[in-house]
Amino acid sequence: MMEGLADLYATYQSTLAYIGLNGLLALSIYTSLSCGQLALGNAGFAAIGAYAAALLTMNAGAPFPLALAAAAVVPALVAIPLGLPVLRLKGIFLAIATIGFGEVVRIGLVNWDYVNGAQGLVAIPQKASVGLIWIVLAAATLLLWRLRGSKWGFALEAIRQDEPAARTMGIDTASYKLAMLMLGAALAGLAGGLEAHFTFMVAPNGFGFSRVVDMLVFAVVGGIASVWGPLFGASFLTVLPEAMRDLAPLLGIEPGPLRMLVNGLILLAVILFLPQGLVSLGARWRERRAARARRAA
Amino acid sequence: MAMSRLAPLAAAAALLAWASPAPAQTVVKIGAALSMTGPAAAYGAQQKAGIQAAVDQINKSGELKGVKLEAVIEDDASTKEQGIAVFQRLINKDKVVAIIGPTLSNTATATDPLAQMAGVPVVAVSNTAPKGITDIGDWIWRVSLTEGQVIPGALKAAQAKLGFKTAGVLYGNDDAFTQAGYSVMKSALEAMGVKTVGTQTFAKPDRDYSAQLTALLGQKPDILVVSALVENASGIVAQARQLGYTGPILGGNGFNSPALIANAGKAAEGVLVGTAWNKVSTEKANQDYVALMKARGHEPDQFCTQAYVGVQVVADAMRLSGQHTRAGVKAGFLKVKDLPTPLGKFSFLPSRDGDHAPAVQVVKDGKFQIMQ
Repeated sequence: MMEGLADLYATYQSTLAYIGLNGLLALSIYTSLSCGQLALGNAGFAAIGAYAAALLTMNAGAPFPLALAAAAVVPALVAIPLGLPVLRLKGIFLAIATIGFGEVVRIGLVNWDYVNGAQGLVAIPQKASVGLIWIVLAAATLLLWRLRGSKWGFALEAIRQDEPAARTMGIDTASYKLAMLMLGAALAGLAGGLEAHFTFMVAPNGFGFSRVVDMLVFAVVGGIASVWGPLFGASFLTVLPEAMRDLAPLLGIEPGPLRMLVNGLILLAVILFLPQGLVSLGARWRERRAARARRAA
Repeated sequence: MAMSRLAPLAAAAALLAWASPAPAQTVVKIGAALSMTGPAAAYGAQQKAGIQAAVDQINKSGELKGVKLEAVIEDDASTKEQGIAVFQRLINKDKVVAIIGPTLSNTATATDPLAQMAGVPVVAVSNTAPKGITDIGDWIWRVSLTEGQVIPGALKAAQAKLGFKTAGVLYGNDDAFTQAGYSVMKSALEAMGVKTVGTQTFAKPDRDYSAQLTALLGQKPDILVVSALVENASGIVAQARQLGYTGPILGGNGFNSPALIANAGKAAEGVLVGTAWNKVSTEKANQDYVALMKARGHEPDQFCTQAYVGVQVVADAMRLSGQHTRAGVKAGFLKVKDLPTPLGKFSFLPSRDGDHAPAVQVVKDGKFQIMQ
């Protein structure tokens, strides 16, 4: 029995780890979204964190906690010179500028011989455990959750709803926006640093545009009204492809391409029928039941 | 009522159980992590066909007495994340004796350390990166030849025939595979004393290579050496010809696909490419294999053949060690010697990399033909 449980854990260990890593990445997108900024440079920040941490442990012999701290601090510092000019942009223009930043990071790494270009860094020692990843995620969640009811949280909400109005109320919108970009960069960097020390390798192609789209999809599918939405979205979409491996044979579907099709269909259904994200499902049901109860009365 | 409805079913089940041969056979599972979706899907499909053909063939031949092989094939979606998940499933859930794959070298650097730690033999059938695969540890073996084994030989054979003295080099620098291919080309050209008159790069999404090609052709190289994935290769070949280049073009493993000829058409004539599989080889093992695949209605390429040989090698290792366990397969690998395969007589090098003779192909009359 114990052996069976150990096997079960070993089988789904990486899925558990990726729930944590993707959760962190979804939260990193959520930080800027929470003050109304569509900043999509987080794959770049994750890459900077991953490479900074991996280079520190591999080439400088730094202890892992220090490397992990660098994975958070270095991207946050990079976010300052990036944020000062680009946060003047809004909406789609900010999105495009930050996507550009992510691509610059990726292409920079591809052309940097010291880090093996496109082949990336390999044989990175495995230092991050599933437990550590989940602890970091829990700490990040707690931080963002506590932020919500605070003075900071109200300022961010004000900026999200109406930036000029917030400014006239005396809120230093530029500083708040920059702080949230830095926080998002630090979370993405942490995820990158943890991933590098969990999967033995990092390569620039793992941090392309599609990675940031994934993060945005986690947040949107889960719902961005609270910190739980991105977490739920990331968990759901990480588990889905793996669960389909077990379900596909039961449903009589050929694993492989069709597995991805079902994945896509569920995604589409959520976007179409639950625009507030999956976490709004509970509220929807309660509303429906209340409406039915009213009709019955 | 319920009983009477179930009775015929139960009878049928009993009949089936009786009709099937006595279950004296042990089922031994071989896992495969293949890219069935995502950018490398074309390779994964070929590999799947090769693995299934090999498993069926070995079961039919009865060369493993009392053992029935079963292939557990999972899709890694060409990503490292799912590659890791697949490896952990195969190791801990399916309890396979060996794993074939994964399709991509980049994925292998993330997945193979898991097998090394768990003590599960891995047979790489399409990883061509010269470094960082079998270096992972003593459980990681490889059937596919590295770029370092194929390209220098192809260049030498081409030079013996064409006698070129200068080369222009073009490569994709944002892909692990094409970048590794370039490093090998560079050192091989240097070793042969061929002067590289120019080196240009491009990125995977690029579709217009005229700037790079114009710069290279301006240096009047005797040969154009290209490391590119097939999606870029046909465009490069076609555009070089449009710019009036008539000399030879030599490509890396990415050129090794019928899609090159299909897309580039006439422009592909005269393109040279090194290959691990000499498909017109007259050796019996190859002739039998070609006939088998024809009977199965599948047009095999190099990737299919290498996957087929991957299963063959695992089966042979089990036969040699007399054990169908993970340790037995690994012990057997050490004894595999001159195994007749479609790739030629196969042995492992002390580095656990595959060893057999590569060949050089040239595109002639719209087909890959072996350069004699």
